[in-house]
Amino acid sequence: MSVEHRFLVRELKLVLARPGDFFKPMWFLILVISMVPLALSPDSKLLGEIGSAMIWVATLLALLLNADQLFRDDFVDGVLEQWLFFNRPLFWLVILKLFCHWLFYVVPLILVTPLAGMMLSVPNDVMIALLVTLLLATPALTCFSALGAALTLGTARSGILGVLVMLPLFVPVIILAAGVLTRASDGSDILPLLALLGAFSIAAATLLPLAVGVALRLNIGGSS
Amino acid sequence: MLIKPKTLQFQNLTCVRDDRCLFADLSMTLPPGSLLRVAGPNGAGKTTLLRILSALHEPDSGTVQIGEVEDHLESRQEILYLGHKPQVCQDLSIMDNLMFLTEASQMKCAQAVQFVGLKGCEDSLVRELSQGQGRRCGLARLWCHEVPIWILDEPYTALDPGMVAILEDRINIHVGEGGVCVFTTHQNPTNLRFETLELARVS
Amino acid sequence: MGWRWFHEWGSPKWFYDRAGRWQRVCGFLALALLLVGTLWGLGFAPADYQQGNSYRIIYLHVPVAFLAQALYVAMAVCAIVLFVWKMKLADVGMQALAVVGFGFTVLALFSGSIWGKPTWGTYWVWDARLTSMLILGFLYLGLIGLRSAIQNPDQAGKACAILVLVGVVNLPIIKYSVEWWSALHQPASFKLTEKPAMPASMWVPLLINLLGYYLVAAYLVLASMRTVILDRERGSAWVREVIERD
Repeated sequence: MSVEHRFLVRELKLVLARPGDFFKPMWFLILVISMVPLALSPDSKLLGEIGSAMIWVATLLALLLNADQLFRDDFVDGVLEQWLFFNRPLFWLVILKLFCHWLFYVVPLILVTPLAGMMLSVPNDVMIALLVTLLLATPALTCFSALGAALTLGTARSGILGVLVMLPLFVPVIILAAGVLTRASDGSDILPLLALLGAFSIAAATLLPLAVGVALRLNIGGSS
Repeated sequence: MLIKPKTLQFQNLTCVRDDRCLFADLSMTLPPGSLLRVAGPNGAGKTTLLRILSALHEPDSGTVQIGEVEDHLESRQEILYLGHKPQVCQDLSIMDNLMFLTEASQMKCAQAVQFVGLKGCEDSLVRELSQGQGRRCGLARLWCHEVPIWILDEPYTALDPGMVAILEDRINIHVGEGGVCVFTTHQNPTNLRFETLELARVS
Repeated sequence: MGWRWFHEWGSPKWFYDRAGRWQRVCGFLALALLLVGTLWGLGFAPADYQQGNSYRIIYLHVPVAFLAQALYVAMAVCAIVLFVWKMKLADVGMQALAVVGFGFTVLALFSGSIWGKPTWGTYWVWDARLTSMLILGFLYLGLIGLRSAIQNPDQAGKACAILVLVGVVNLPIIKYSVEWWSALHQPASFKLTEKPAMPASMWVPLLINLLGYYLVAAYLVLASMRTVILDRERGSAWVREVIERD
């Protein structure tokens, strides 16, 4: 079996082996969204206006919660070292890992956001725009959060440091996505912005794994 | 098992750690069929040397070469590295781990599990096994991963005498087929014939 | 003692001594320039026809804000030197620049905020420049946090270098997107930037101050680098001599 096949099979088995990691982000999302009307007001018109932005931020945070677990278990078990002995460049294995992570953890989370949208009375056309922006933006965000996770692998109790280090770099994506959502609620054309978002994601997904690979090698080489 | 025999050679390896020189100008050629034990007191740099030979760590100077290929990183897939960490995923079974880490077929992996005496534990999660059994999970790769160069860092850890004998048999077979094996241990191997490389502390 | 390996130019001791001299030169020049520039700007330059006298804070704000960004780019240069030529001194430079850069960013935010109060009535507005400066502050903070979290200094240096390089590539993207966002949501008059046509009596002191603060930054970076070198090389003989001397 090829390396790619073995990798995918293992990622699938890991999802089944750790169901908590699968459900916790969704649980977090719905829980946090439930706080919003409590902290603001139950007025559905007001909620509908800010709802999409709130869901975006909550989804972002839910994603970041999972980020540390990308490499940490393999690093602690010594399996990350073994990645280096596969007959593939490290950045390619990183791309595989991030793709699997996106497919098995992030996309399911995105599929739960309509539920949050209903809770905050988000209008349907905005909800669709929200889904599309999340699907287009999350590859880039996954890659950025992977870099944060890879850089902080060696530190004890890192947890949130990887997130803090990476969040400022999310700003362009957040602004772009928000731009799309504003235009969607106005009814104007969102395609050019979506194209830009998609292009940014592709660029990030191609270039960042290289940096992630370097950071992983740094941590593997340092632990002995 | 069929392996393509390769020569492992290193030249002028030097490593400095925290302003302390661990070793300098180490050179050696290990033709197929070599068995080398790296010995020395704690902190002498044995693990570091093994990690340099496995291309996990860069030396401060010197080169390592496997076979004809000059770039060490290119020939990483010829190496099996066994380190201090368990090197198996705790949340999966030993079969799942072996199928991921090696190219071996399911049948070969099952045979490897039998060889290390874990028959019946194929589908248990590694984290449910005892420490000795967990250690054997990492060793099982030696029976199904067909590569010529073995770098084993303290393979005897947590093994009972029966398992030690099985391991030494396996190493002898590997070396007999033309493989190369470099290892460290604090115990005294009884059934192996090997050369020794002493790393003394340079102060 | 053990072995010490210095890659190319820049043994720490050599740098420590030289930097001491450069530091003093920078310090004196900076003092002179800032004295001239600040007094001129605060006292003698004409009042702005729109903002009156409160605009004078730009003599602090603009140079400091510019430097906050320039120092980040300088860090990126250090990161490249670290990766390509493996000079440890570049890592020392990065460490010093991160702290000094963060200080300048905070100063820029502070002075920008003071400028905002008489002009807009509030201490904080989400205009493009202040928002970009805030994000830059977070980037600096991330670097400082990352370095202090990693124990091994070589690893910490390389990890920070990776972060700086990714950051510097994203910096123009962030700035551009924040300006776009600001233009989207706020009318164009909400800009803290100066109008292009400034009389010479206004921008000359600005330039002098810019140079002055640049030298202040150089002074602080050199001083910081020397401290870092003393800390990193504390096991060696020449450091012990220095400490005993002072």
